[in-house]
Amino acid sequence: MPGKTTSSSPPRITKFTNCRIVKGPNLVEQDVWIDSSSGKILKDQEAFYGLHLSPDEVIDLGGRILAPGLIDVQLNGAQGFDFSVPQASKEEYDNGLRKVNKGLARTGVTSYLPTVVSSTPEVYWKVLQSLGPSGCSHRAEDGAESLGAHVEGPFISTGRNGVHKTDVLRAAATFDDIVACYGKSNLARSVRMITAAPEVGNMLANISSIASSGIIYSIGHSDATYEEALTATQEGATMITHLFNAMRPFYHRNPGIFGLLGQNECRRPFYGVIADGIHLHPTSIRIAYNAHPDGLILVTDAMKLCGLPDGVYEWTNGERIIKTGARLTLEGSDKIAGSSATLIECVNNFRRWSGASTAEALNAATATPARLLGLQGIKGSLDSGADADLLVLDDVDDPFSGSNLLVQQVWKRGIKIYDTEKNTVVVT
Amino acid sequence: MRLIIRDRPEQAAQYIAGYIVGRINDFNPSEERPFVLGLPTGSSPLPVYRALAAAHKQGAVSFQNVVTFNMDEYVGLPRDHPESYHTFMWQNLFRHIDIPADNVNILDGNAEDLGEECLAYEEKIKAKGGIELFLGGVGNDGHIAFNEPGSSLASRTRVKSLAYETRIANARFFNGDFDAVPRMALTVGVQTIMDAREVIIIATGTAKALAIQQAVEGGVSHMCTLSCLQMHPCSIVVVDEDATLELRLKTIKYFTGVERTVLQQDETPTTPVDNTTTGWGESSEGEMTPDSMSSRIDSPKSTLVARSATIPSVRMKPLST
Repeated sequence: MPGKTTSSSPPRITKFTNCRIVKGPNLVEQDVWIDSSSGKILKDQEAFYGLHLSPDEVIDLGGRILAPGLIDVQLNGAQGFDFSVPQASKEEYDNGLRKVNKGLARTGVTSYLPTVVSSTPEVYWKVLQSLGPSGCSHRAEDGAESLGAHVEGPFISTGRNGVHKTDVLRAAATFDDIVACYGKSNLARSVRMITAAPEVGNMLANISSIASSGIIYSIGHSDATYEEALTATQEGATMITHLFNAMRPFYHRNPGIFGLLGQNECRRPFYGVIADGIHLHPTSIRIAYNAHPDGLILVTDAMKLCGLPDGVYEWTNGERIIKTGARLTLEGSDKIAGSSATLIECVNNFRRWSGASTAEALNAATATPARLLGLQGIKGSLDSGADADLLVLDDVDDPFSGSNLLVQQVWKRGIKIYDTEKNTVVVT
Repeated sequence: MRLIIRDRPEQAAQYIAGYIVGRINDFNPSEERPFVLGLPTGSSPLPVYRALAAAHKQGAVSFQNVVTFNMDEYVGLPRDHPESYHTFMWQNLFRHIDIPADNVNILDGNAEDLGEECLAYEEKIKAKGGIELFLGGVGNDGHIAFNEPGSSLASRTRVKSLAYETRIANARFFNGDFDAVPRMALTVGVQTIMDAREVIIIATGTAKALAIQQAVEGGVSHMCTLSCLQMHPCSIVVVDEDATLELRLKTIKYFTGVERTVLQQDETPTTPVDNTTTGWGESSEGEMTPDSMSSRIDSPKSTLVARSATIPSVRMKPLST
């Protein structure tokens, strides 16, 4: 395939050809042009006619899939680093964060919401300073990029706390209580999403304030009835945190939070699903997906032990976690304490279990979370003008588990940062 | 003028794509001596572009040293409008091939001085050494580029107002909104096309049958601008069966005969075809005159004389699919 190559400088315009890209529910054959100087996907036609640009590099993907970088809106940590644990100094914390960002990128996650579990205000004040959106200062070689923090708790139900420590849980009477807990500037700059139980304290009355300050209110860790959940949605809740987990189960006389997926009284919320094979039965996922396919967002809820060997590990607030394979449980109980699956594994599981097409399964970890975050066309998209966060995926047939998508290359803002074929991190 | 008839539109397109690829490769273009190709838009050329893109993908042809000139563009339509001819060309051809952006020329329908834009376009064509091969389509009324019935056969690149019928026909591309169809277009003239060293036209479907009949069997007339090709020393019209529906059988037989002869010629390029040894039967001499039967009987040893068919020196092997 002929193509101009400039050997002296790194390629500015890269054209991916002979690839299948996600377009709605289908994979279609289409070229993608990216510009490493702007870090964006090019409006190829205008680049050609207006700027007279021709690709500096043409990459023939040989029919492989080109997908947007994955977005994880619920991730507690990785690489042995826990977002909820303050370090001795901010520098130390930021160093740990950098390690997470680089490691995450290799798994195909190019942007995410670092998630902090229920903690004391002191912890929020410390860690949230570091977890805000990286924005324009983010460099490709930094790896995955924070889109803002997800604070999961502490305004949650004591009965649906999961592994969150009950001592730190609170109830908010006014919006000021919420501001005081997270810190005013953190709420303004760092926090992107709050998971809270609408029935706890006076939360229902505060949802509209949260939503109007540009923060996503997500219903979760909640014992809310269907009616309470519906009111929360009418007040401005747009998300459900890990559907089915840590909430009142579906009951035919009162469908609970899950019922939001079947009603037509107001907009059905987005909902997170942990498709790690442990948190949910595949059929539960399928039922939810059939009820509301456009709202399903795959999340890992992964914690820092992801990738570490089996054993007993220290967790937040002095508690300990037992890791057995992908299963993480709180010591002395059967409670599931987050997962250690990667998001691409969840995409593969979801595709297998739900009957969703490859494109639809990828959308659940790209375009759909981008829509939740109001970033449609910027993240999770291959449209021109979107950030050039890209994955090259191979769809390989596994004799045991069927077909599996494998992350082969990761591009961040127009620059290749990971390539399995070279078996190294390209940019460090 | 030659008329090439294929059963299906795809085969007609395949023939043209193969022809263009052959011409480019035989020309062996270089940066200093590029192959200058004229290009149309429209639905008939689409399969030609698909075949060209496929040929490029297979490595059969490179467009690195091909310079293109498009026939026309709407006036006042933004360049990135989905119905602009810039968009059409990008979507259907340029994005799929390796042509450098600098080699692509399309009239700018948003130029401040449209008249100046047209003059400059003609100059640019001249500066590139003229168009080597002009690919074209044809409108239902026999128009070539936006040279609708009544256009001067001596016309050059200029601003044209679009005929009512053309705007009606094109409204389907603008959500059926007639008012959204631009009223004017920039287009190369009939003479601009006639200046090309070679012209090849694709016309497929029953809707084109009357236009083809007029252009092939009628006289040269500005009411069917395609008929100008009768005066062109080297032109080919490629049609599918449907587009021949209005032609007389005699005409079809004549032109299929010419094609067979040309193929024969192609197989033995240096030797004139001897009528007695061809095995192609009655159409081997490549010519059909009103008294063709008698002339054939009278001169059995006549060598090939292509009175109205220009036999190009290049091979016209269609691309294998």
